[in-house]
Amino acid sequence: MEENTKNQQVINSRQYIVVKIGNEQFGIDIQYVENIVRMQRITRVPKAQNYFKGIINIRGEIIPVMSLRLKFGLRADEITNATRILIIKLEAQSAIGIIVDEVKEVVTLTEEDIDKVSNNDSEVRAQYLSGVGKHGDGLITVLNIAEVIMERDTIQ
Amino acid sequence: MDFLDKYWNIFIDKAQEELQSFKEQLLILEKELDNADAFNEIFRIAHSLTGMTHVMGYKRMYRLMRKIHEIFWEICNRIHCMEKITINIGWINVLFRVLDSLEKYLDNIINFKDEGTDDNEQIIKDLDYILKSIVFSRFSRKSKKLWGCDRMDVSQYLGIFIDETKEHLQSLNEQLLVLEKEPDNVDTINEIFRAAHSLKGMAGTMGYKRMQRLTHDMENLFSEIRNGKMTVKAELVDVLFRGLDALEKYLDNIINLGDEGTDDNEPIIKDLNRLLKEGMGTAKEDEKATIQSETSASQIEGTNGYKELPLAEHEKKAVIKAYENGMNAFGITVYVQENCLLKAARAFLVFKALDEIGDIIRSQPEVQDIEDEKFAYDFSMVLLTKEELEHVKTVILNVSEIKAAYLVKLDMPESEHKTEEKVQTPQVQNTTETTTTTQTSNNLTSQQSAAAVQAAPAKQAVGKRASTATNGKQQSKPVVNRSVRVDIEKLDDLMNIVSELIIAKNGLVSMANSEGATANQGFNEQIEYLERITTDMHQSVMKVRMVPIESVVNRFPRMIRDLSKKLNKKMELYMTGEDTELDRTVIDEIGDPLMHLLRNAADHGLESNEERVRLGKPEVGSIFLDAYQEGNNVVIEVRDDGCGINVEKVRNKAIERGTITEEQAEGMTDKEIVELLFRPSFSTSEVITDVSGRGVGLDVVKTSIENLGGNIETRTALGEGSNFIIRLPLTLAIIQALMVELGSEKYAIPLGSIETIESVELKDIKHVQTKEVIHLRGSVIPLIRLSTILDVEDVKEDAQELTVVIVKKGDKLAGLVVDNLIGQLEIVIKSIGKYINNVKMISGATILGDGEIALILDVNTLV
Repeated sequence: MEENTKNQQVINSRQYIVVKIGNEQFGIDIQYVENIVRMQRITRVPKAQNYFKGIINIRGEIIPVMSLRLKFGLRADEITNATRILIIKLEAQSAIGIIVDEVKEVVTLTEEDIDKVSNNDSEVRAQYLSGVGKHGDGLITVLNIAEVIMERDTIQ
Repeated sequence: MDFLDKYWNIFIDKAQEELQSFKEQLLILEKELDNADAFNEIFRIAHSLTGMTHVMGYKRMYRLMRKIHEIFWEICNRIHCMEKITINIGWINVLFRVLDSLEKYLDNIINFKDEGTDDNEQIIKDLDYILKSIVFSRFSRKSKKLWGCDRMDVSQYLGIFIDETKEHLQSLNEQLLVLEKEPDNVDTINEIFRAAHSLKGMAGTMGYKRMQRLTHDMENLFSEIRNGKMTVKAELVDVLFRGLDALEKYLDNIINLGDEGTDDNEPIIKDLNRLLKEGMGTAKEDEKATIQSETSASQIEGTNGYKELPLAEHEKKAVIKAYENGMNAFGITVYVQENCLLKAARAFLVFKALDEIGDIIRSQPEVQDIEDEKFAYDFSMVLLTKEELEHVKTVILNVSEIKAAYLVKLDMPESEHKTEEKVQTPQVQNTTETTTTTQTSNNLTSQQSAAAVQAAPAKQAVGKRASTATNGKQQSKPVVNRSVRVDIEKLDDLMNIVSELIIAKNGLVSMANSEGATANQGFNEQIEYLERITTDMHQSVMKVRMVPIESVVNRFPRMIRDLSKKLNKKMELYMTGEDTELDRTVIDEIGDPLMHLLRNAADHGLESNEERVRLGKPEVGSIFLDAYQEGNNVVIEVRDDGCGINVEKVRNKAIERGTITEEQAEGMTDKEIVELLFRPSFSTSEVITDVSGRGVGLDVVKTSIENLGGNIETRTALGEGSNFIIRLPLTLAIIQALMVELGSEKYAIPLGSIETIESVELKDIKHVQTKEVIHLRGSVIPLIRLSTILDVEDVKEDAQELTVVIVKKGDKLAGLVVDNLIGQLEIVIKSIGKYINNVKMISGATILGDGEIALILDVNTLV
C-alpha cells in the first residue's frame, strides 16, 4: 500500500533545477537541461534580438545564449562568480543557453505542490510561467521553458 | 553488351547480399515452418535475384531462381488469402541445397566470370515437385474463392519498385533520345528492350495492371524494332515518349496516392498498336484485324480462336471410338492472360480440371513443354469427354488468369481406310474457316519473337562469358572493384568528426605559434605533419560526398526535345562537363534553377526558326549547358544563341511599373537593369515576359542559388544571345577564409569571393551620391564600412590608411573596410542556430584554434 502511494508520487512529480534571477527563484524542468556551464566569453552577433547576448562554443557546438533578465524586461545581467549558463535542449540539434544569476539546487515537486497561475496576470513574463511551486519556506516560479525560448517578440 | 561488365560488380555485391539474407530466412523457416514474414522475404529475394540473373545472362542461375520465385509466389499468394501455410521440413533441405548451388554458381562467376556448367537437374526436379504439391493442395480444396486473390501483398516492395522504375524510365528516356538520332543503333534498342521488359515485369508483380499493359504494348513495339521488322520513325518515337510520360504519371500516382490511378491511356495504347500493325506491314491483315478486334476481342464466345491440331493415327482412332461411345471430342485452345506470372501453373490447372471430366489425348505444345513454360500464351489440346461444350468451357474459365478458351467440336475423322491418303487434320465445324483472330495472333507472334529475342542475347552473353572464362583461367583472377553504399547521414557524421579534428589542429597551431617557434623544433614538425594529414583527410571525405552533376542534367535533353516540339522551334542542347562533381547537398537543390534557365532560354531566348533564318543565323537554335570547376567553385553556364535581353525595353517597363524612378534609371548601368529581372516583383509580370522575354521565376532561381552559397551573373548581347553563369561552392562545410579584425571582434571572409586586398589612403576616398567610393585601376568601387554595418562598438580611430578587402559578386566589386588582417585559415562552417534572428549578413560561425568564435560574413548580401 505504502509502496503504491510512493510510486504514485514518483509519477506525478518532476525534478526542477532552481535558479536565481535577482531575488526570485525559478524552476526549470531538469529533463530539458543538458548542461550547466560557467560564464564564458560570448561572441556578439550583429543585429540579433536584444536579449540574445551572442553565441558560445561548447565542445565544438555553437550555441546561442539569451539573457533571461533581458527577455523578462529586467535590468541587464551583472556577471558575478555565481553566474551560470544553462544549456537547454528542447529538440536535437538546437541547443540554447540561458544566463542566470545563480544555480541553487535540484528539487522534486509533485503536481500538488504547484499552483497554476491565473492567466490574467498582466505582467509581461506571465506567459512564460506555468505555475508557482512551494518548496520548504520558499516559492519557486516554474518556467514554461519552451515558451521562453520560442521566438515571440513581445518585449521591446 | 558492355553494360554487363558495368553492372557486374554491382551484381556480385547484391547477389551476395541477397544470398546471405536467403540463408538467414531459411534458418528462420527451419525453426518456424509457418513464418509468413520469411516467406515474403524469400519471395522478394527470389524476385530480385531472378531479375538480376536474367539481365546478366546467367541462364542456369536464372532457371533455378525462377523456380524458387514460382514456389514462393504461390505460397505468398496463399498467405495473402489468409491461408495458414506450413511447409514440409523436407522442403527446407531442398531449399538449402538450392542455396548451396546458388553460392557455387556465384563463386564460379566471381572466379571465372562464368556460372559453370552444372545444371543441377536434380534440384530443379525436386523444386518442380514442390511446386506441384503446392498447386495441387490448393486445387484440391476446390475453394473457388481463392482464385479471386490473384494479388499478393506487395506493399513492402513498393520502395524498391519505385526506385527501380525511376531508373528504368530514366534509362528509357535517354536511350530513346539516342534512338531518335541513330535509328539503327543495336545496343540502344537492346537496352530499351531490356528496360521495358523489366518495367513490365515489375509492374505486373506489383499488380499495377494499367502500367503493365502500357509497357507491354511498348515492349511489343521494341521487340519488332529489335527484330528488324520495323524501322524507327519520328512518329514512333513521339508515341513512345508519350508512353513514357504516361508511365511517369502512373509512377507519380503510385508515389503520392499509393495507386496507379484510373487513366487507361487508351489513345496511347491505340497508337502503339496501330504503329505496330503498320510496321508489321500487310495492309490486308491490318484491315481484318480492325474488324476482327472489334467483334472478337471483347467476346470470348467466338470459336475462331481455336488452332487446329494435327492428329496422329492412333489419336484419330481414339476420337472415332469416343464418338462411337457417345462421347464428344473437342478441340480446345486456351489463351492465358498475358500478364500471368505463372503460365505453367495455370496451364497445369487447366489440364488437371479437364482430366477430371474427360481424357486429353493430345496437346500442343507437349505437356512437358507446357510445364517448363515453353509456350507463348496459348496452348491447344483435344479432349474426349461426356460433358457438353458449355460445361467444358466453364470448367476452363474457372481457372484464374485464363483470358479465353475457344472450343470446337471435332468432326468424325475419316475412317481407317482413307487415313493413309490423308494424314491431315480433322476438319473444323466452323464456317468462318481458319481465320484466327488476327489481333491475337499479332500479339502472339510478337510475343513469340520477343521470347526468341530474349533468348538470343542470353546465349550470346553466355557464349562471351564462356570465351572470356577460358581466357580468364589462364590469366589471374579478375579484379573486383568493391563498392559500398553508405547512408548520407553517416557521411555527415564523418564530416563532422573531420571538422572537429581540423578545429583541434588549428588549436595546436595557434599554441605552437604563441609559445615561440624555436621552443621545440620537433613539436613544430609534428604539427605541420598533422596539418597535412587533416587537409588530406578533409579532401578525401569531401570527395566521397561528391556526386557528378550528370545525375541532375541527364533529364534535360529530353526536356529540350519536348520544348522544341511544343514551341515549334528547332533547337539543340549541347552539354559539356557532365562529370563535374558537386557536393551532394548542392546537387539535390540545383536541378530546378537549371531547368528554369533552360526553359527560359528555349522559350524566350531563342527566336523562331523563320526569324533566325531572316537574321542570317543557323535555323536550329543552340542552347549550351557547360559545367566546369574553377578554383573552389563550380561554374555552370546556361547559354543560348538567341536574341539576348533587350535592356531598353526592360528599363522602360521597370519605370512604367514603378520599380525604379526615371532618375534612378538614368544612373543605372545596363548590368544593373538586367539585374532587375531577378527581382521578385518582376517575375510575376506577364507584360515584361511578353516584351523582353525574361523574368519568369528568375527571382526563385536567384534565391535558391544564393541559399546554396552561390551566385548568378547575367551576360547578354542583344541579338547574339544571353549567358547565365552560376557559381557554386564546391562544398558547404569547410572553406578557406581570410580572417579579419573589426575592433576586438574577428570575422571570416570566404576566400572565394575575395578579389584583392588594398591599402587605401584616406584622401583617395571620393564621394558619389553621399556614398564613399574609391578608384581602383580604372573602376569605381563602393566602400562598405563593416564596423558601422555590423554595429561594432570599439571602433578604432580612422588611420591615415585604410585596409580594404575588395570582394566580388559576379562581376560587381565592393571594398570592405576592416581594421586588421589576421591571415588565411581553413574554417569549418557551423550554423548559428534557428533561435537568433537570422542576420542575412552572417552566413554562419566558425570555431577558431583557441576556442573563440568568429562569424562568417556573407559577401553576397553585403555587396
